[in-house]
Amino acid sequence: MQAYTNKRIRVLAIIVFVAVILFVIRLFYIQIVRHDYYALQANSEQMRQWILPAVRGEIYSLDRGKPQKLVLNETVFTVWADPKVVAEPDKIIDVLKRVAGGNLRSNAADLLKKTDTRYQILATKVSSRQAQLIKKEKLYGLGFERGEQRVYPEGELASQVLGFVDNNGNGQYGLEGALNNQLTGKDGLLKTIADVRDVPLTLGKDNVMVPAVNGQDTVLTIDRSIQAYTEKALRDGLQKIGAKNGSAVVMDPQTGRVLAMANYPTYDPSKLNEVEDVAYFNNNTISKPYEPGSDIKTFTVAMGLDTGTITPQSTYLNTDYIQVDDRTIANALKGHTGTITMQDALNYSLNTGMVTIMQRLGNGSQITDKARNTTYEYFHDRMRLGQLTGIELANESAGTVIAPTDAEGNAVRYSNMSFGQGMDITMLQVSAGFSSIINGGTYYKPTIIAGKMQNGNFVAEQPSVIRSNVISQTASDQTREMVHIARTGFHRNIDTPGYYVGGKTGTSQTLVNGRYVNNETIATYLGFGGAINQPSKYVIMIEISSPGMNLEGSLHAMPIFTDISNWMLGYMQIQPKG
Amino acid sequence: MPNRRNQSMRTFQSSRMNRNYNNVSYVSAVKLGPVTHTVLVALMITVLGLIYLTQATKATGYDYAAQEIDTKIAELASQKSSLEVENAKLTALKSAQNSSVAANMVAPSDVQYLPQ
Repeated sequence: MQAYTNKRIRVLAIIVFVAVILFVIRLFYIQIVRHDYYALQANSEQMRQWILPAVRGEIYSLDRGKPQKLVLNETVFTVWADPKVVAEPDKIIDVLKRVAGGNLRSNAADLLKKTDTRYQILATKVSSRQAQLIKKEKLYGLGFERGEQRVYPEGELASQVLGFVDNNGNGQYGLEGALNNQLTGKDGLLKTIADVRDVPLTLGKDNVMVPAVNGQDTVLTIDRSIQAYTEKALRDGLQKIGAKNGSAVVMDPQTGRVLAMANYPTYDPSKLNEVEDVAYFNNNTISKPYEPGSDIKTFTVAMGLDTGTITPQSTYLNTDYIQVDDRTIANALKGHTGTITMQDALNYSLNTGMVTIMQRLGNGSQITDKARNTTYEYFHDRMRLGQLTGIELANESAGTVIAPTDAEGNAVRYSNMSFGQGMDITMLQVSAGFSSIINGGTYYKPTIIAGKMQNGNFVAEQPSVIRSNVISQTASDQTREMVHIARTGFHRNIDTPGYYVGGKTGTSQTLVNGRYVNNETIATYLGFGGAINQPSKYVIMIEISSPGMNLEGSLHAMPIFTDISNWMLGYMQIQPKG
Repeated sequence: MPNRRNQSMRTFQSSRMNRNYNNVSYVSAVKLGPVTHTVLVALMITVLGLIYLTQATKATGYDYAAQEIDTKIAELASQKSSLEVENAKLTALKSAQNSSVAANMVAPSDVQYLPQ
């Protein structure tokens, strides 16, 4: 009996041993031989991957030096339904109508009847608060998808400077377009094992966690009050004379910072579907080169003073006409003939005076190679006309200043350039170049970026000097005084008393199919302002145009300059003298 | 009395503590066969395994708590962004210009500057 029992135990032990061996072999096969296959299968079932979206950087303007949010992000929700499982379709529609109102799709009730589908969007851009109210109703079959949208609390303000973000999340035009990568940031990644409800778990050793890098919060140099007033003054000025298009730049000549940049017509970035013409997206102050006209006479005079070619009291014989090669150049304003000073030439905006400066740069009677080379060096290299300024905005145009080495860069071309014809440049180039002329000869890189926000603190960027010897301090002072006289000599009582304001008119002919037309001119005004015997506080440039209208700088653009200038003196709290 | 007892114990130990001499001999009344041993070992392994699993999955409990906190943070962040937007709209220039405070403002009749 004992022997029988031992035998049974041995048999059982052998069976168990064999079974264990089989298990071991099977486990070896599964865990070692087929490891990769089963690991892959397990991963595909358990591993989940989430994109951690980076938050787009917000944009601030300044309000007397204090950052103020101009473009924000708002969390919004898309409300969707699974019609197959929805139990109370009428209640869902009722709640969404009551809470989400205009965000509800007009055919939402019909969408819920599509019970053969599993996903129907009922409402978009639902705010966080609205989403919470809807969730409270515990409506079975509803889902919420989180998203972000740009919000523009100031509406149209500086819209062409800001640009906008398209449906794919990409910045277009303006700052949004130019600094898209910087504002976008970098999405993060979370890869980990998840449970059936997609809750990420810390199990496993192959988890990946790369945090998102949010976009840079950027502070603009735009002062929102100056911007708002500039836009208002431009709009009012245009409406007063019935002109259709206008642009304005307000700049700090001591730093190159753009304080305001306005264009009309304009648009509201939050109502893109209402924009009638995509041309409204363009910032014409940087992307639409034009013939600047007589504003450039300030540049020619500055060059003449700096090279020692002229002084403000240098004289020449004005006959209202001057010969350059085979062309006769005439003054727009005739009658101030005889021996007159360069100050007179600037006051009356006489083309003959500017051509005379060019001739004196040459051999006294001709615009020689030396005169053209010198002019190109001053206009293009020093005052940077016809070059990209590098401002942090999309679609900047370089314009064109013909070099003397070019076949078209002849004496006639350069005689025209002396009074602002024969070249295409942008308003920003003119404003920045003019700033360097009146600030003592330092060209600051025009910028729209004042700094960035870091942990809630404003970190300012320093102005960037491109060139410090554009013209001498003496030539700068003399030019400033000449431009001051050119304004106050004709218009004594338009500026607030006790300040030092100067400016120059410009009236440019318009080219149609390569030929100047007589029924359309562009009016511009370029000037500065500030306290007496103090560095200028601002440079303002105005440009207005309208199809079929002959507009003049002194009649149509100057009043807008004067309006903004007088307001700026008060806003900047500049103390008058005398 | 305790001293005497200790003394006798030492005597006993010293007399018995010789090389290759069994001090204690114990035979259990319960006899365990090989199957019982196997089962006991299996049970011990199972218990240890369960303890390991309990500890290993304990971290998962924190994951759910962390998930709830993350959800709460996201909700609060979205509420914060909504409030910021509302604040920005209320402090926008147009809102300020259209406010009752602005409507009651009057232009200064005269401005005096302090000497610099």
